[in-house]
Amino acid sequence: MKDNRGVSTSVLIVDDHPSFRAGARRMLEASGYSVVGEAADGEAALDAVRELGPDLVLLDVQLPGIDGFEVAARLEDAGAATTIVLTSSRDRADFGDALAESPARGFIAKGELSGATLAELTG
Amino acid sequence: MTSLRRALLALAALAFLAGVGAAALILTSSHESSRGLAVLLILSAAWGFAGTGLYAWDRRPDNNIGPLMTAVGFAWFFVAMTFSGSEVIYAIGVVGNTLAYAVLIHLLLCFPGGKLEGRLSKWVVALTYFDTTVLQAARFLFTVPNNDGCTGCPENPVLIAGHENVSNALNAIQVALAIVLIAITVVVVFGRWRRSDANRRNALTPVVFTGGFAFLILLVQLAIQPGVSEAVERVAYIAAVAVFACLPFAFLLGLLRSRVGRAEEISSALSAENEQLNAELRAKVEELRASRARIVEAGYAERRRVERNLHDGAQQRLMALTMNLRLARDKLGEDPAATGELLDEAMEELGAATAELRELARGIHPVLLSERGLRAALGGLAERSPVPVELVATPAERLPAPIEMAAYFVVAEALTNVARYAEAEVATVRVERRNGTVEVEIRDDGVGGAEIDAGTGLRGLEDRVAALEGRFSVSSRAGAGTTVEASIPCE
Repeated sequence: MKDNRGVSTSVLIVDDHPSFRAGARRMLEASGYSVVGEAADGEAALDAVRELGPDLVLLDVQLPGIDGFEVAARLEDAGAATTIVLTSSRDRADFGDALAESPARGFIAKGELSGATLAELTG
Repeated sequence: MTSLRRALLALAALAFLAGVGAAALILTSSHESSRGLAVLLILSAAWGFAGTGLYAWDRRPDNNIGPLMTAVGFAWFFVAMTFSGSEVIYAIGVVGNTLAYAVLIHLLLCFPGGKLEGRLSKWVVALTYFDTTVLQAARFLFTVPNNDGCTGCPENPVLIAGHENVSNALNAIQVALAIVLIAITVVVVFGRWRRSDANRRNALTPVVFTGGFAFLILLVQLAIQPGVSEAVERVAYIAAVAVFACLPFAFLLGLLRSRVGRAEEISSALSAENEQLNAELRAKVEELRASRARIVEAGYAERRRVERNLHDGAQQRLMALTMNLRLARDKLGEDPAATGELLDEAMEELGAATAELRELARGIHPVLLSERGLRAALGGLAERSPVPVELVATPAERLPAPIEMAAYFVVAEALTNVARYAEAEVATVRVERRNGTVEVEIRDDGVGGAEIDAGTGLRGLEDRVAALEGRFSVSSRAGAGTTVEASIPCE
C-alpha cells in the first residue's frame, strides 16, 4: 500500500506479544507498509514515537503498565503528528465508550487486521 | 475418705474434747455461782455451732458459712476459759471472751452466700473484730478482775496498772461501738431479708429471726450491766442459753433450705462458660466470614487468571495464525515457497496454542484426577515438575472427589512454589490415608522462608482444606527447606 505521495507509510507496532508483532510486521510489509519499529509496552511506545516519528502507530489496547488508551492520550497531548490505530484481540464492544473518547483514528480487531482494513480506516 | 472429711472429723473430736474440758473447768470454778447454767449455755452454743458448722462445711465445702459457724463454736470455749483459776488461762479467756459475737456478726452478714457483699458489711465486720480483740485486750491491760465484779477471779498477769477509769472508759467505748455495730447488722440483715426473692428469703428467715432475737438479748445484757438484780440477770442468761442454742440450727436450716449459694455458684460458672463459648463462637464466625470472602475472591482471581492466560496465550497464537494464513492465501499463486513457510509457521503456532489450551484446561480441572484418581494425577504433576519429585506414597484407592481435589491442588500449588521460589534439588510428596484422615505432605530441600500470609496461593490452600474441616500448615525456616502439610478428615 502506498500513500498519495508515492512514499510507503511508516508504521510503529506496539504490542506485548512477540508473535503478534512478528505476524503484523510480515503482513504490513507484504501490503506495502514500512515497519520502522516495534515496542512491547506503553512507555517504550512513547519513546519510539518521539524517536522515529512514524506516520502510523498500530497500538494494542492491553499493554503492561500504561495501556493503549493512555498512550494515545499522551501522544495527542504531546502534539505528535501521527495517526493512531488501536487494535486488540478483544472485541470492539469490550471497551464501551473508551474507543469513541480516544483521540485514535479508529479500532481494528486483531482478527480483522489486514493491509486493506488498515488502508480503509486511514485512507 | 477425703482429706477434708478427715480434717473435719479431727475438728469434731477436738470440739468434743474442748467441750469436756470446758465443762470440767466451769464445774470446778471457784468464781461462778450458776455453774450448771453456764455449762449448759456454753456447751449448747459451742457444740451446737461447731457440730452444725462442721456438717455444713462437709455439705458445702466451697461455702465459707461452714468454717465460720465452726469458728463461732470454738470461740465459745474462750468464754469457758474465764472460769479457770489459772491466771494465764483466765487471761486468754477474758481477751477472747467476746470473739464469738464478732464471728457471729461476720456470719450473719455473709449468710448464706459466704462472701461479704458491699463496703458497709466489710467495715462493720472489720470494726467488730477490732472491738472484740484490740479494744478487749487493751481494756484488760488496765483491769483488776476482782474490782470488775468478778469476786474470786485470778489476778491479771498482764496488768499494766489498775486504772478503773481507763478500764471503764474503754469498756464504754467497746459497748457503744458494739451497740452501733449490732444495730447496723440488724438493719442490714433485715433489709436484705425484705429485698430477697422467695428462694433467698427461705434461707434467711430462720437466721434473721433467731439471730435478731439473740442480738436483742445481747443488747439487753449490754445495757443492763453491771449490777442489776440477780433475778434479771438470770432471766437474761436463760433466754441467752435458749436462743444461742437454737441459733446454729437456724443457720444450718437456712443454709440447707437455700439453693441460693449453690445456684449463684452454678450460675456464675455457667455465665463465665457461656461468655467464653460466645467469644469462641464470635471468633469462629469471624474466621468463617473471612475465609468465605477469600474463597469468593479466589474464585474471581481464578477467573481473571484464566481470562489472562487465554488472552495472552492461545488467543495471541490464534491471531498470529490468522494473519499467517491470510498472508499465505495472498501468496498462494505467486510465491509457493513463501506460502509453504507461512503454513509451517502456522502449524507451529497451532501446536503451541493447543498445548497451552491443554495446560490451561488442566489447571481449571485436572481430567486425569477425576478419571483415574489421585495416584495417576500426582504422577502427572511429578512428571511435569521442573524440579525432580519423588512420590513417596500415594493412595491406590479412590477417595471422595472433594478430598482428591483438595489434596491434588495442595500438591500442585506446593510444587509450583517449589519450582518458582525454593531453589530446591528435589521435592518429596507423600499422600496417605490413615486413622480417618488423609495426610498430605510436600517437602523440599530448598531455601525455605515461605509464609502462609505472604501470598494468595498458600492462603487459598488453607481455605480449601479448612472448608473440608481439615488442618493446613507450612513450616519453612530460612535455609531449612519447606514442608507443606494438610490433614483432611476422611471417614
